[in-house]
Amino acid sequence: MSDQSPFIRRLEQVLDWARSFCILISSLALVTLVTTFGWLVFGRYVLNVTPTWVEQLALLLICYIAFLGAAAGVREDTHIGVALFRDMMPFTIQKVVMVAIDLMLAAFGAIMLIAGITLMKFGWDTALPMLEIPESFRTLAITSCGALIFIFSGSRGLIRILTFRAWSPEADLKDL
Amino acid sequence: AELRGWNIHVEDYPVSIAMESFMAEVAEKTNGEITGKTYHNGVLGNQPDAIEQIRLGVIDFGEFSLGPMGQSVPETNVVSLPFIFKSIPQMYKLMDGEVGEAIGAGMMKKGMVPLGWYDAGARSFYNSKTPINTPADVEGLKIRVMSNDLFVKMVESMDGNATPMAFGEVYQSIKTSVVDGAENNPPSYESTNHYEVAKYYSLTEHLIIPECLCMSLKTWEKMTPEQQAILKEAGQNSAVKQRELWQAREAASMETVKAGGTIVNTIADKGPFQAAMAPVYDGFLAANPELTDLVNMIRNAD
Amino acid sequence: MGLAILLCVFGVGVVIGAPVAFAMGIAAAAAFWYEGFPLLITFQRATAGVSVFSLLAIPFFVFAGEIMLHGGIARRLVKLASALVGHLKGGLAMVNIFSSMLFGGISGSAVADISALGSLLIPVMKERGYRPDFAVNVTVTSSIAGIVIPPSHNMIIFAVAAGGGISVSKLFLAGVIPGILMCVCLAIAAYILSIKHNYPSEPFPGWGEVGRSAADAIPGFMTAVIIVGGTLSGVFTVTESGAFGAIYAVLLTKFYYRDLSWQSFVRSVTGAVRTTAMVMILIAFASSFAYLLALYQVPAKLSTLLVSISDNPIMILLMINLILLILGMIMDMAALILICTPIFLPIAKGLGMDPTQFGIMMLINLGLGLCTPPVGTCLFVGCAVGKIKIEQALKSIWPFYVAILGALLLVTFVPQVSLWLPSLYD
Ligand code: NA
Ligand code: NA
Repeated sequence: MSDQSPFIRRLEQVLDWARSFCILISSLALVTLVTTFGWLVFGRYVLNVTPTWVEQLALLLICYIAFLGAAAGVREDTHIGVALFRDMMPFTIQKVVMVAIDLMLAAFGAIMLIAGITLMKFGWDTALPMLEIPESFRTLAITSCGALIFIFSGSRGLIRILTFRAWSPEADLKDL
Repeated sequence: AELRGWNIHVEDYPVSIAMESFMAEVAEKTNGEITGKTYHNGVLGNQPDAIEQIRLGVIDFGEFSLGPMGQSVPETNVVSLPFIFKSIPQMYKLMDGEVGEAIGAGMMKKGMVPLGWYDAGARSFYNSKTPINTPADVEGLKIRVMSNDLFVKMVESMDGNATPMAFGEVYQSIKTSVVDGAENNPPSYESTNHYEVAKYYSLTEHLIIPECLCMSLKTWEKMTPEQQAILKEAGQNSAVKQRELWQAREAASMETVKAGGTIVNTIADKGPFQAAMAPVYDGFLAANPELTDLVNMIRNAD
Repeated sequence: MGLAILLCVFGVGVVIGAPVAFAMGIAAAAAFWYEGFPLLITFQRATAGVSVFSLLAIPFFVFAGEIMLHGGIARRLVKLASALVGHLKGGLAMVNIFSSMLFGGISGSAVADISALGSLLIPVMKERGYRPDFAVNVTVTSSIAGIVIPPSHNMIIFAVAAGGGISVSKLFLAGVIPGILMCVCLAIAAYILSIKHNYPSEPFPGWGEVGRSAADAIPGFMTAVIIVGGTLSGVFTVTESGAFGAIYAVLLTKFYYRDLSWQSFVRSVTGAVRTTAMVMILIAFASSFAYLLALYQVPAKLSTLLVSISDNPIMILLMINLILLILGMIMDMAALILICTPIFLPIAKGLGMDPTQFGIMMLINLGLGLCTPPVGTCLFVGCAVGKIKIEQALKSIWPFYVAILGALLLVTFVPQVSLWLPSLYD
């Protein structure tokens, strides 16, 4: 999309920055996961003392890897889907369908965000075993995922509507 | 209305049979106004998820262990204190009386209505190394415990090495000496085949954690007072049935493990074990001063 | 009615090309809404589906695979394979298949296998006069052997879906022979095609070179040995073995091979994060979806239906295979394992099939689905790496389909293929 308005270019920049932030956090979570598990193995077999918090921390980290990584995947458009049938449709219909998917995902993201907030409130007085922090820290992952999907998909839908005439699904492929 | 019930156990387990008879009694006494279906085998998720679902009113009733419930209902943590009940009959008596009411009040606050207290037996230590007769015998043993700070401290206060580990990995871990043993009630010790790899079963009976047949408060509030009375009565009757079935099951399991070569020992004097738990109680009461009365209510009962 | 909503919303989502994971989530949310449940149950199930202890092995396997790819281990395995089988007719095709067997998809991720081996081998094959579609098809189909050759994270997903009664060690062992068998069948197909198209063979580099490349590759191959061996010995849990394997691969490529730059480390981490997230988000929303299927008692109803169609075990097994194949074509693996295991495993058990054997059968089936349109992740990636159109690949892929189907039938009807090795271990 070469003929972008400055607004859209700026927006895309901010979204890419948010995407990179997701990948950064998930990457740190993965490195922490590997390191703490190394520590667990070392503790159990060498020091003969098992660090009891590692497993529960790992269950927390995996949620962040999964949901923040998935949100980044929405921005990068790398989630597994079937383009075959859509590609058989006429060009304009394809564009309409893709905008519809964007808006549907944005709506789903919004529901995820609201549900996530409710779950966080609900889980505030439930402690995660061994870590003794509120369960809400686990649900924070899906809450952020909802917010990010809402932003990523919503803005993509918006950009596609704004540039509806100029934009073609094939040009999108070239961007990848 | 058709109620949905959650249960983690297989269909022919004492709990499952009792739950079925609970729903059958309710359906009969309400002339079919209230019916229900129990989803066994945990197909609707594991216990922490199910507790959340029952509080949200997604499922209407369920049977839960009070152990993991402590993460959301502080009062239930009290029964996870080692050696708090002196025996199973005492636990029945207290749970059917004022202790059960106090814990139940805590559950009501979190959206669950207890209908009957089920029995999950007493948990005892087993290991592949040595019979346990005194707390000193636990010293240096690597014992798998459930993921709960109290159980970790329980083992640590006897100088054992507490190892939280997924339940499914315990058999292989004992076999290969990753851990020396674990702790559980006789039916679990038997059905998981852990007795094949850990042949010393020492009846410390350190944890007597009752279970609860509960209803979602959201569902409960939709019922008429007559229906609520029927539910309470059926819940109580199902508990009586479950306890009988459980004891038969426990006796059968003890037969099996003994026939399989398990060396069972009883504890002549639980005094030293109880004394060793002082730091666990102190830590617990320091962190939960509001539960002091409840703890004392159970400890001072005879 | 609720079930109809669930399936229709999902079906429409898939057909219009929505991401499969979110199509499942949206369908589940719609069905929950219809049933009068709070919508947040969709997300409670999704979070619960991801926070499963056994699944923690997935990021470790995937990360180890990425390190092998970016830290030069994959390249060394290909070199060893070239020295060993490059002199056969259609040498590079054999190298391709044999490398996949060695690489074994440490990650169990067929896609990692394709990007690792395909980007190395497809250009070379094209240069040496192999047709691009042939090169792509060999790469794509052989990559799915990595799903059954241990270690494999899909086996862990299966063990979780089966409810925990199945030992991962046993699954690892059960996959070895079927994996090799698949490679042999594929090699036969490639050999016949190589004769037909007169593809070249590479010169034999001499035993000295074989020895040197083996010495160079073996420390890298040890990553897989550590993961599988740690699990089988029972000294480590699968998860611990995976973590240990990943740490070993990092240390080896950094300090012994000296091939791991900061950039390639970062690429490995971010690559692993992306792959893990992709798999986990499928698992997450498949959990919401599967919750509803359980609520509607689909497993029980479907198995009653299936058994009512035929009481001949062979027919039923063929039908299960056919259903899995068709589902595999339109959905992705991780989600299908979670959804189909509770449905078909009880039927297979009822026919006296060992759950472990069923697992291997299912994995091969769903793996084949990864090489078929319309949802065929491996095929897509392979075509992207080989820079050809999917239609082009499809024209000549059928001999490889036949090869894998042959292996699949052997696994289905000859229990020993999968169960002999685990029986030695007990
Ligand atoms: Na290959
Ligand atoms: Na497919």
